[in-house]
Amino acid sequence: MLEARDVTIEYGERIAVADVSVTLAAGQITAIIGPNGAGKSTLLRALNGQLRRSSGVVLLDGEPIEKLSRRTISRRIAVVAQEAELRFPVTVLEFVLGGRFAWASNAGWGWETERDVRIAEEVLRETELADLSGRLMNELSGGERQRAVLARALATEAAHLLLDEPTANLDLSHQATLLSLVRGRCDKQQTAALVVTHDINLAAQFADHILLMKHGKVLDAGPPRAVLTPEMLRAVFDVTVLVDAHPVTSAPRVTPVHGRRS
Amino acid sequence: MTTRVTLRRTLIACGTLMLALAAAIVIMSLLGSEQLPVRASLCAIFSAGTSPCGLSRDQYDILFQLRLPRILLAAAVGGSLATAGASYQALLRNPLAEPYLLGVSNGAAVGTMIALVFFGAFEWSRPVLAFAGALIATLAVYQLARGRAGATPDRLVLAGVIVTTFLSSVIVFVTTLMDATRIRSFTFWLLGDLSGSTGTLLPLVIAIAILGTLALTLNARSLNLLMLGERDAFDLGVEVGRVRILVFVIASLLVGSSVAASGSVGYVGLVVPHLVRLSLGSDNRISIPAAALGGALFVIVADTVARTVIAPRELPVGAITALIGAPLFIYLLKRV
Amino acid sequence: MSLSPLFNLRRFLILAGALLLAAAFACSPAHTPTEGHASGAQLRDDAGRDVTLPQRVDRIITLAPNLTEIVFAVGAGDRLVGNTTYCDYPPEAKNIAKVGDTLHPSLERIIALKPQVVLISTASQLETFTQQLQNQNIAVFVTDPHDLEGIFRSIEQVGQMMGRQQQANTLVQQLRERTNAVEQAVKQRPPVRVFYQASGEPLYVPGHDSFVTDLIRRAGGTSVTADVPGAWPKFSNESALAARPDAIILPTGGSMGSANSTVVEALRNSPAALAGRVYKINDDLLARPGPRLVDGLEQLARALHPEAFKQ
Repeated sequence: MLEARDVTIEYGERIAVADVSVTLAAGQITAIIGPNGAGKSTLLRALNGQLRRSSGVVLLDGEPIEKLSRRTISRRIAVVAQEAELRFPVTVLEFVLGGRFAWASNAGWGWETERDVRIAEEVLRETELADLSGRLMNELSGGERQRAVLARALATEAAHLLLDEPTANLDLSHQATLLSLVRGRCDKQQTAALVVTHDINLAAQFADHILLMKHGKVLDAGPPRAVLTPEMLRAVFDVTVLVDAHPVTSAPRVTPVHGRRS
Repeated sequence: MTTRVTLRRTLIACGTLMLALAAAIVIMSLLGSEQLPVRASLCAIFSAGTSPCGLSRDQYDILFQLRLPRILLAAAVGGSLATAGASYQALLRNPLAEPYLLGVSNGAAVGTMIALVFFGAFEWSRPVLAFAGALIATLAVYQLARGRAGATPDRLVLAGVIVTTFLSSVIVFVTTLMDATRIRSFTFWLLGDLSGSTGTLLPLVIAIAILGTLALTLNARSLNLLMLGERDAFDLGVEVGRVRILVFVIASLLVGSSVAASGSVGYVGLVVPHLVRLSLGSDNRISIPAAALGGALFVIVADTVARTVIAPRELPVGAITALIGAPLFIYLLKRV
Repeated sequence: MSLSPLFNLRRFLILAGALLLAAAFACSPAHTPTEGHASGAQLRDDAGRDVTLPQRVDRIITLAPNLTEIVFAVGAGDRLVGNTTYCDYPPEAKNIAKVGDTLHPSLERIIALKPQVVLISTASQLETFTQQLQNQNIAVFVTDPHDLEGIFRSIEQVGQMMGRQQQANTLVQQLRERTNAVEQAVKQRPPVRVFYQASGEPLYVPGHDSFVTDLIRRAGGTSVTADVPGAWPKFSNESALAARPDAIILPTGGSMGSANSTVVEALRNSPAALAGRVYKINDDLLARPGPRLVDGLEQLARALHPEAFKQ
């Protein structure tokens, strides 16, 4: 279990995250929604142990995260972020195998075991990239590359998945695919997932729990139906919205009403 | 490369290169400004110097006191520079990173010059001050490159260019303070000169080359991940700060010892890692040791050309590596 | 806007007149390619250039230590207005204004001292500033002797230039006599195989075009590097070892200071080193192609053939 208690992160004068508590429970997808600068990614990076907090604690399976080594953390927490630059040629399989690094028997050397390769091939199947495993990463489309990044994270077998705007550069079909994969993982293997996203409707469809953040504070937290109300969304985004139920999935559906302010 | 790198592939590749290196050492020791009888020389070499095999006293001295030490020095220098180059390229995620471009070579050269001018009597002052100079230059580059977004690879190369050109002017300044005869010797040395007597330094340079390559190869898997992004590597479990310091220190050691022994031999750290990656792939577990062996081969051959083409005169080996390296690099750029 | 033709013509005339005036001021009157003020002698220098020199040279600058020594030796030191930081002989030379070092003299300094002639010692400095000096009506004279005769010629030419022919000829005569004496003394003896270590690591030696090669020959030796092309080539350690010289000359102790005072590794076991025939001679007497080179010749000969000079 991964939880943050009363976490505050300050950059000099600026308060990026103010007194936030969140718990990622097994098998659940938690989404963080909010405008730019709300502190969503900062909170994610604090949960990963990357950013230092000004106050509060982050506990991974009951232990303070600072006390754990990077490799220990990486075995239990995997991050899916915007894919970085690929300046050197690397195949999809090699890329995904990178996820097994944290399980290597020694620090920087060593070769992938049979098991490592099997797990990598499995997640490639899961993310429907099996046919592309021998191709170079920069030959793939944007959507396929993002799936490879997810595959790598899944290959770590971590119990916690942190996804930072995973669908930002994806077209419609790929957006849904990616989150279904995450949903599937959570359901089957009780992985806990945290998704930072701009896409409220996607969050409404897939998340069990939503946090609304603004200016570093959590304004509301709870199941989508409870949190996604016009009043809350106006408070967070300063925009008038209409909230109804999606005709097919019956999840809350948020539609902004432009040109009118009440 | 579409096939994965395995231990077997690595051993095959490195084994082949080691055989090629051994062959090169033997063959190049038969070439030089003085003709040596081939059969007798081979016999003497394979007897590990115990039997002169009919070589005259002078021939024996030429082979074992002058030529073979020089070839071994060339191998150590080539291996050190290529390994340093390959590691910088992985750490900085920039295929153009190279000890000279990053100011490390010039830092080592300034250190060596200070040692020669002020501590000329102590032979060991040269590699020590060269290492210090290389490290200081590295730190200067790193500090210069740190912006708000951190030291991105592009900023690092930019900072490297600034530091290296600044140090070049320092070198020019110091040489103008010297007298005319010294200037000529220094200019030659700065272009790479393997003809100096090595004395006790040769074992040191060889040891550093081997140990440094080993140390960096042991971190090759971390470097593989770093090559794809520092943040990603961090997320996947790499101790980024520790690996970065390790690479900087070991690479400075490698460059420092090479420059102290033989001046600035350019292009090795740039061209050899590229060739290796093109043929064996970017996985550092294979490309770092292969670069070390390839670099050794490259400089041995270049130095043989430098000391035979206008015999009995000599060219600086850096001129040959540049003559071979520059067109090769242009060709590589066009392919990629 | 319409302008009357008359207005246009006037404007044009004014503009043209202004341009002509400006051109007249801009062109300096004596921009002719000839050098020197009044036409004096024409001497051919060692770069094959025919240099026109003024009738009387009152102000001369030298850009190399050997040239400074030559100017003083012909008795024209009072007319030397500038030399380099390396020019330290005779002692009076140190008090003369410095224009920089041999490789990078300051053009501005040179021009500011208003010389009529600048003496330079190798053609490599030539291209960089000859044209600029010529534009200032300063004559540039190149000396580049490859042997002792060439040095004698340099002395005679400087004597002619400075109106001290008498002095110069007498000096050359004396130097010739001393040279002949040396050559006579060593004539009957077999030449010694000499290795001249111009500098240690990296190893530089005198080649075919160096005056030191000629010097060694006259001193009763044969330079083992006499056939290597060039003047000061970088030499292979192996070939040095294989040459097995019987004597090694180390020019050191002068401008070089303590540098070059040990034999290179490759020659540690040479016949010369094993027999103790390693001779240190003041490098100023061997590296400067001027009158003191004959001093160097005498020391060289005494080192190579000591028996010939026992009195």
